[in-house]
Amino acid sequence: MRQRDELDLLRWRIRFVGYAIVAVLLVLVFGFWNAQIIQSGYYQLRAEQNRIREIPLRAPRGRIYDRYHRILADNRPSYNITLIRENSPHTVEQTAAILSAGISMSREELLDRMNRKRREPKFRPIVLKDDISVGDIAFVKAHRYELPEITVEFQPRRRYLENEIAAHAMGYVGEVAETELATPEFVDFKSGDQVGKAGLEREYNKVLVGKDGFKRVIVNSFGREMGKLEEEPAIPGNDLVTTLDLDLQNAAEDCFAGLRPDCAKAGDHSGAVVALNPRTGEVLALLSRPAFDPNLFATRITAADWNNLITDPRKPLQNRAIQSHFSPGSVFKVFMAAAGLEAGTLNPLRTIYCPGYATFFGHTFACDKHDGHGTLSLHNAIVNSCNVFFYNVGKDLGIDRISRYATMMGLGRRTGIDLPNEDAGIIPSSEWKQRVFKAKWYEGETISVAIGQGYVGVTPIQAAWAMGGLTTGGRLKQPHFVPPQELKKLGFAAGEILEEDYPIQESTVDIVTKAMWGVVNEGGTGINAKIEGFDVAGKTGTAQVASKKANLKGKEYRDNAWFVGFAPYRDPEIVVAVFTENGGWGAEAAAPVAHAVLETYYKKKTGQFEKSTTIAQK
Amino acid sequence: MIGPFAGKHFWKDFDWPLLTSALLLSVLSLTEIYSSTMAQPSENFFLRQLAWVVVGIVFLFVVAAIDYRLISEHIPWLYVLAVGSLLYTLALGHRVAGSKSWVVLGRIQFQPSEVIKMVVVVTLARYFSELRASQYMTLMQITKACVISLVPMGLVALQPDLGTALTYLPAIALGLFVRGIRPTALISLLVAFVLVLPVTWFVLKPYQKERIMTFLDPERDPLGKGYQVAQSKIAIGSGGLVGKGLFRGSQNQLGFLPTRHTDFIFSVVGEELGFVGVIASLGLLAFIIFRSIYNARTARDNLGLFIAMGVVGTFFFHLIVNVGMVIGFMPTTGIPLPFLSYGGSSVLNAFIALGLVMSVGRCRYVN
Repeated sequence: MRQRDELDLLRWRIRFVGYAIVAVLLVLVFGFWNAQIIQSGYYQLRAEQNRIREIPLRAPRGRIYDRYHRILADNRPSYNITLIRENSPHTVEQTAAILSAGISMSREELLDRMNRKRREPKFRPIVLKDDISVGDIAFVKAHRYELPEITVEFQPRRRYLENEIAAHAMGYVGEVAETELATPEFVDFKSGDQVGKAGLEREYNKVLVGKDGFKRVIVNSFGREMGKLEEEPAIPGNDLVTTLDLDLQNAAEDCFAGLRPDCAKAGDHSGAVVALNPRTGEVLALLSRPAFDPNLFATRITAADWNNLITDPRKPLQNRAIQSHFSPGSVFKVFMAAAGLEAGTLNPLRTIYCPGYATFFGHTFACDKHDGHGTLSLHNAIVNSCNVFFYNVGKDLGIDRISRYATMMGLGRRTGIDLPNEDAGIIPSSEWKQRVFKAKWYEGETISVAIGQGYVGVTPIQAAWAMGGLTTGGRLKQPHFVPPQELKKLGFAAGEILEEDYPIQESTVDIVTKAMWGVVNEGGTGINAKIEGFDVAGKTGTAQVASKKANLKGKEYRDNAWFVGFAPYRDPEIVVAVFTENGGWGAEAAAPVAHAVLETYYKKKTGQFEKSTTIAQK
Repeated sequence: MIGPFAGKHFWKDFDWPLLTSALLLSVLSLTEIYSSTMAQPSENFFLRQLAWVVVGIVFLFVVAAIDYRLISEHIPWLYVLAVGSLLYTLALGHRVAGSKSWVVLGRIQFQPSEVIKMVVVVTLARYFSELRASQYMTLMQITKACVISLVPMGLVALQPDLGTALTYLPAIALGLFVRGIRPTALISLLVAFVLVLPVTWFVLKPYQKERIMTFLDPERDPLGKGYQVAQSKIAIGSGGLVGKGLFRGSQNQLGFLPTRHTDFIFSVVGEELGFVGVIASLGLLAFIIFRSIYNARTARDNLGLFIAMGVVGTFFFHLIVNVGMVIGFMPTTGIPLPFLSYGGSSVLNAFIALGLVMSVGRCRYVN
């Protein structure tokens, strides 16, 4: 081949290479055209999302105070570790692997936290660890270049009184559940928000909750703030002043904690105490035992702690003061007396002979005093708590009249207290038995009901409410922790406190209150509640848990003890219901607790009170 | 007669447009390196690059002034020296990011694998030009040509720096094509390449496999490589037509772009100077490439032709791999963009290559 031709051939090939290069360059130019001209808007948005980060500013919840502005619940500062998946240079698995080494959480735990929220928008922070230690903060700060997706977030956290004081009244807070978000109660909230889950925290969640703010900042690729674009500060929630009196609460707490010798029999029992001002409906104290530590919930409660709470056979989460009903025992006799007097089936001058038992409809019913009380007036029947007398009262009234009067007086229905999930209790009637058991009412069952046994079930709050209503002349004031004017002051709509006035003769009120004064002051079963100078009145109750015939031994079959007291006995300003589960005699296990609360009240009233309550200092 | 140095016509015949293009790219490079490393002023990336550009220009003038045939005469021992330097690197090199590719001489660090690219290009060009004229190369000749580039290439791959090793391929590929091989041989080579590919898969390091997998499926992203490309595309796309302005690219300034002064420098250009800046810089690079092709076609002899085409192949390969990577058309590799990416060895190599092209262009007038 000639050199000339060869060179031509080479040049032709070079020309071909040139065309190929032009073609490739055109493809590249097309790539840039597509990105920078056609899809530019999309990429500009992505660049902005990269550069701008929205940091939530958590609003603290409002504080909860007692009536003297003493703190029941406030907030403390805390920090969380959060993950923002958007623009993360790692997969969640990688993040979990790096993080687990430094913050003492296993990869599985971390992944579990991440996966539970994986359907959330990617820019929304996922809390990986709550209430972290200084060591955790140090680890995250030291690794912020490796883990730009991880940040430390400030979150005010709930702090309650120590030693489970007023735990059931306060309730607790927690992260809103996915299922709750769909309900109208939590419609304004979003995943990850802290909301009230029980107690006052839940009832007044909308008042207490603040409004989270945010700040929009420019961040670099390490998540470090380089400048602020805008900020909407967090608005703290409203502080709530309740009617609770911490001194009265502590007195009751001391008894059930076994810290006071004068009411030691209640110590370590399950039970409940409710103290109300019957004139206004204000709740002065509300206790339920066993209790729980609401502080456990302030930090995400651990699975182990939660399990302990829900599997505990004593059910510490249950608010026995309002969510459980029990046979009222002899406390019910007061209402039977009032019902009999009002219905006219009980002559106030009637006397009955008690031989220690009575026979009705072929069954023998015993009196607590086996050798009998002898001949008794109504007054003495209440003072000595004679069953035989009240068997007759009940028999004369009949179940449906008992039901009507008891319900009218506030038993067997919700009081309307401002706490969630109140139990209605049970006042049976023939219609009720037909509805629930599809069975006829037997007259014999009325005899048990007459002394507060059988189907009758009342909650401690009902006992206090109804007793307050009866002794103030038939005026039932809706129990409440937060007065409506308090809510209105904060700009919330609030209805007035409901008031029910039922017809009752003054003479009836006089007879029963005098008799209950006798229970305490005439050597009756309530002698342990007596306070010199403060006319305390009240009624004990000792309700069987198991049938006497079964003759079961053991702590869990011991009788439930009741005492519902009030003072002064005319137009009382305080009523206290005490319920001690398996406490035995009401006179021993319940009356001393009421005494402790009433005494505190009286000492405060007369200026003799010294702050020496033990539980608050423990 | 081969004149060792240029005569009186040197300045008159000097290829000023080519130098101007390279200088414009260098100015752009220095500006964007300054922009992308403002956050780390203590590292002095700008000043170090400036120093290398100055050194590069000196080398360009020296190489351009020497007749390429003189270089070709001395190429055998230069080639031996080059292979020796690679062996030295393998034995005593400085390890950075898993590769032993650096040599430290006093205060200067450089990568022999970058600097000796042109030695291989010239060696190949000499071999191709010395073949007796015939339409197609024989199998033996093809094998010999392959050995010339596979020896240094293999040594670089052993460092292991597969990306850089691959940059030795275009020179030989383009040389074989231009010199001419039988269509059947071309097909056999392609078939052999395809057959070797799966074998290569097994010798690849896990991170290399990961890169290829990520390229095939960016959503995979286990090592965050897809993240880099995604951020690069965001930078480029958000630049729009005219860009966000020098020093004002948020992706660049806030550090969302990875290795932004080296491998991803073109993303910074795209973000801060927009489509206009991209076209301008691609235009300058294309001008250099097509000027080199022109010099190849008008070269006085085959030696000059193959040298110029070797440079074309090397430049163009760097361009498509790097620019293709930042726009998401190519897998992530650590291959720099000539004249633009930060890096002394890369800059030096680019200016030496340009000097060779100028020498080829200048000498066509000399006879």
